[in-house]
Amino acid sequence: MKELILTSLAIGVKSVIFIIGMFLLAAYLTWIERKFAGHIQQRPGPLHVGWHGLLQPIADALKVLTKEDIVPEGVDRFLFYLASLLAFVPAIMILAVVPFGEPINIFGVEIKPYITDLNVGLILALAFGSISIYGVIFAGWASNSKYPMIGGLRKAAVLIGYEVALGFAMVGPIMQAGTLSLKGIVEAQQGLWFIIPNILGFVVVLFAILAETGRTPFDVQEAEAELVSGYNTEYSAMKFGLFPLAEWYIATFVLSAIAVILFFGGWNGPHIFGPLSPFIWFLLKLGMMFMFFLWVHWTLPRYRVDQITEIAWKVMLPLSILNILIVAIWIMIFG
Amino acid sequence: MVKIKYLDRPSLSNTERFFFIDFIKGMSITIRNFFRKTITTKYPYEKLTPPKRFRGTHAHRVKDGKEPPSFLAIEKFMEIHDGESRCVACYMCQQACPVPTLFNIEAEQLPSGKKRVTRFDMNLLNCLYCGLCVDACPVDCIIMTDNYENAGYSRKDCTIHLEDMKERGLDFDKRRYNEPDRIWIDDEMREKLWGQIKWS
Repeated sequence: MKELILTSLAIGVKSVIFIIGMFLLAAYLTWIERKFAGHIQQRPGPLHVGWHGLLQPIADALKVLTKEDIVPEGVDRFLFYLASLLAFVPAIMILAVVPFGEPINIFGVEIKPYITDLNVGLILALAFGSISIYGVIFAGWASNSKYPMIGGLRKAAVLIGYEVALGFAMVGPIMQAGTLSLKGIVEAQQGLWFIIPNILGFVVVLFAILAETGRTPFDVQEAEAELVSGYNTEYSAMKFGLFPLAEWYIATFVLSAIAVILFFGGWNGPHIFGPLSPFIWFLLKLGMMFMFFLWVHWTLPRYRVDQITEIAWKVMLPLSILNILIVAIWIMIFG
Repeated sequence: MVKIKYLDRPSLSNTERFFFIDFIKGMSITIRNFFRKTITTKYPYEKLTPPKRFRGTHAHRVKDGKEPPSFLAIEKFMEIHDGESRCVACYMCQQACPVPTLFNIEAEQLPSGKKRVTRFDMNLLNCLYCGLCVDACPVDCIIMTDNYENAGYSRKDCTIHLEDMKERGLDFDKRRYNEPDRIWIDDEMREKLWGQIKWS
């Protein structure tokens, strides 16, 4: 009984730390994105609030939180409120199964830098990723307006295609590691990272993450030129702020973490930074992955909707299945 | 008969299709831009000086002895002292203006028989900044300055009057009267100031 209480207390404290940390991190990811986008267009980005705009996320948060929260007439109120939560909560729930490093001993207490280590962690992450599209569809439906409706349905069409390809592309690393636990997958990559036989799967996962988080080559759900602002047109104040926060920052960050774990060996790397080197390696790889998504976002134009679904079903799905074949042959030869 | 030329969209080669060559080209451009210096002006802290012929807020030149001969001909009918606006209320600017109602010019006749300008208001909310009033002015009085910060908190603030136009004109002439004009300048002078300009 005592052990149960202690365990749940530890998990609760860890969850609170993870959620608050993710909030702060997402706020500063907006700053990173704005700086990066600015310099790509040869302008400095936020500059006035604090040193090089470092306090800009706080100013933005204050602004968004104190704005008037308008609920338009004719919306389905329950779904309207539920949608912003449904977009946000599953995105942050994936964090429960993402391990950030090996367990470390501090003063004789073993601290695990992850909340749980489920043996179906990857399936859970995929499931939460799929649930988050309900937020978008509900937002489109509940707004009782044509642009959100079109945006929500476009997002649904994109996600149905890419969830399938994403699931099949993740089969390769699972076959090599022989487990669905993310920690187990990292431990199986002590020698060679799974990127080597899984290069096709990695390409598919890159495309799928871009599609799932609505970043640029696939941002049809909020195509500014066609739909006013897509599914979140009728939202205002913090209810609006939750959508980009969840989709563009938290979801991209967490899915980048999963991609790093699956293909780039997670926290594996030479122990050159002392006891903290697993964390540093993991965060380094994660940061490079995230910056890669920003780079793609601020470079490429948008695909047409039909092209996106066509790529999903005609190119990405066969590629991911081909990847399974290649990995199977690799396992047969090298064991 | 109009001939229509049909062009085929250039098709991708297999190398381009498999290795995302066009993606990589675009991304190399953006990453090169990322490491370049920014080209922006930090506006409230740094302000650019426009060229002398910039068409900003209007101003009046004052009577200071540099008037054109047309002013000397009309001067004896006017009650204008040194350092006052040299406007003679001829209404030529209003005639030339595409939106003439933005001017509100009034003049009165003094007991001595001379004419004095009492009011010269311009409602800049309606102004196109086309500069036709400047061209029309026979005494080189109304000019356009390099002031581009002409936003106000109310509509009333956007109307300019005789006094502040005079002040602005004095300030502009003090700063830039002797600056050579970029267009009406000798070629040698231009080369000395801004280097060789290649005309196409």
